[in-house]
Amino acid sequence: MKGSVIKYERDNIDTDVILPGPYLKIHDYAELAKHAMEGLDKDFHKRVKPGDFIVAGKNFGCGSSREHAPIALSYSGVKAVLALSFARIFYRNAVDGAFLLPIEIDESAYHDISDIDSLEIDISKNEIKNLTKNKVYKMKPFPELIGKIIQAGGLFNYKP
Amino acid sequence: MSKTLFEKIWDSHIVVDENGRSLLYVDRHLIHEVTSPQAFDGLRLNARKVRRPDLTFATMDHNVPTSDRSLPILDQTSSVQIKTLEKNCKEFGITLFDIHSPNQGIVHVIGPELGITLPGTTIVCGDSHTSTHGAFGSLAFGIGTSDVEHVLATQCIMMEKPKTFEIKIQGKRKNPHAVTAKDIILSIIRKIGTAGGTGTIIEYRGDTISELTMEQRMTICNMSIEAGARAGLIAPDEKTFQYLRGRKYTSDNYDELVNDWRENLKTDSGAKFDKSFTLSVENIAPQVSWGTNPAMTSDVTESVPFPDEYGKGNPEEVKGVTKALQYMDLKPGTPIVDIVIDRIFIGSCTNARLEDLMEAAKVVKGKKVSSKVRAMVVPGSQLVKKNAEEMGLDKIFKDAGFEWRESGCSMCLGMNPDILAAGERCASTSNRNFEGRQGTGGRTHLVSPVMAAAAAINGHFVDVRELDLK
Repeated sequence: MKGSVIKYERDNIDTDVILPGPYLKIHDYAELAKHAMEGLDKDFHKRVKPGDFIVAGKNFGCGSSREHAPIALSYSGVKAVLALSFARIFYRNAVDGAFLLPIEIDESAYHDISDIDSLEIDISKNEIKNLTKNKVYKMKPFPELIGKIIQAGGLFNYKP
Repeated sequence: MSKTLFEKIWDSHIVVDENGRSLLYVDRHLIHEVTSPQAFDGLRLNARKVRRPDLTFATMDHNVPTSDRSLPILDQTSSVQIKTLEKNCKEFGITLFDIHSPNQGIVHVIGPELGITLPGTTIVCGDSHTSTHGAFGSLAFGIGTSDVEHVLATQCIMMEKPKTFEIKIQGKRKNPHAVTAKDIILSIIRKIGTAGGTGTIIEYRGDTISELTMEQRMTICNMSIEAGARAGLIAPDEKTFQYLRGRKYTSDNYDELVNDWRENLKTDSGAKFDKSFTLSVENIAPQVSWGTNPAMTSDVTESVPFPDEYGKGNPEEVKGVTKALQYMDLKPGTPIVDIVIDRIFIGSCTNARLEDLMEAAKVVKGKKVSSKVRAMVVPGSQLVKKNAEEMGLDKIFKDAGFEWRESGCSMCLGMNPDILAAGERCASTSNRNFEGRQGTGGRTHLVSPVMAAAAAINGHFVDVRELDLK
């Protein structure tokens, strides 16, 4: 999986800025995508390209249980969010519907990765290659259940 | 073997377990208009039924107008979402408390009020504040829409076993009317942080908890999610059993149930928690948030912090606070009591139950809302509203210049017309002060109902310990 980075050097990016409340009435996912990250970055919609990765700080996705948040990011083209840590409902929502990969990275990777760097992610090796900087980082392995749901392609395809 | 309350409830609901990855049975599923439509679409697409419509309860709360409900809903997209829930509940045979029902209200207010929430049960809802129900010793999780669909189809939820986190709350508050449950939970989040409880189930324990009423316990459990926890939990006691007795859905064998709960629903002595934190409440002050997450909170007697001091040399923290203060348009060093307020919102699943309104009314009675302030009360449910009106609270608020509205989530999350204009500053009894939460560009200060009421009258925050609230 290859893509380029949109970086927000910020902790606690909450679901209200990822997808503001008024848009929770929208059912069309492509339409939802137009409002992704609107609470934080009005230009995100123009900037994001299919296959992009978001890189952010601690506690990404805190707040509301709205699955609209990972859906809006996913339909914007975001394939993975790389963060220092995730709030749990967002983390689970991201994989349940196979919307995007929530990947935990460490401080050194977080500080090293810059905006618009090209990354290649290999979850089978828990490895992130920074193609721009020619470096390799380790990602935190997924917890067992999350890994299995990702492998199955979402909650409904997973059989315990 | 000694077990925590959480472990007892968890273990008794396991359908299948594989190394701590468990399929858990769900006793009650609460749904609302915003996070359920795609779940029902999914069921239809796969020709699935609702597994237990008798254990599924629906209401509409997030986007309903809080103005005159005999009028049509002007916002077309809200109207569609509301009609969709009606249609889905009819098609799948689910009990719905619709916009005209005397039992309509915020899902986390009506669950306990109707006796749908019971000790020892598992409850899920497509809303993060489902943690509220933990006040009754119920293991209650907020879930997303895929999980809602999964629960509708199977009445089960797939989870990895969370860790346990004990929060001991101890001591006596000098003025429990001014230093409220809201101030206790904000003090906790301020100390452990917005991710302090991530991946855990918090059990609130200690002598202060036993003294709190059920409604106050709900305020505390409600905001567990603001500390990142999966759920909050309080062991049930005689107050819990009394609160639920005779409610609409309380079963005929209630006394038998109570005997069982009294015997079993507690953490065994000697049981181990993965983590522990203690808060002594003797000296805590009324709290006011000044930033853009609930941990960014100070005592009312303090000032807006200087980012460098607050961040203690951590550059990320300093940057975060600087951005928050920019958004909030606050200068470091400004006394909290000098912050001037434009709007007051007394409402939400955190603080819109009868006691909240009674406490706020004590401050408001016989006074007038500041001429520069627009203030509203949005009762948590139709039943709260009715009870409050029977006590004459509506008149106290209206005479003072408050708007007295119909029940719903309202300005807590800005999905209906009750929103802040850009730049407006609000003292709010809700749970989240995130950027834009109450309206694009709106600024939220999280406070207790008593503090919100005092700010309405004075036009700024005040140390409510100086008021006569007895």
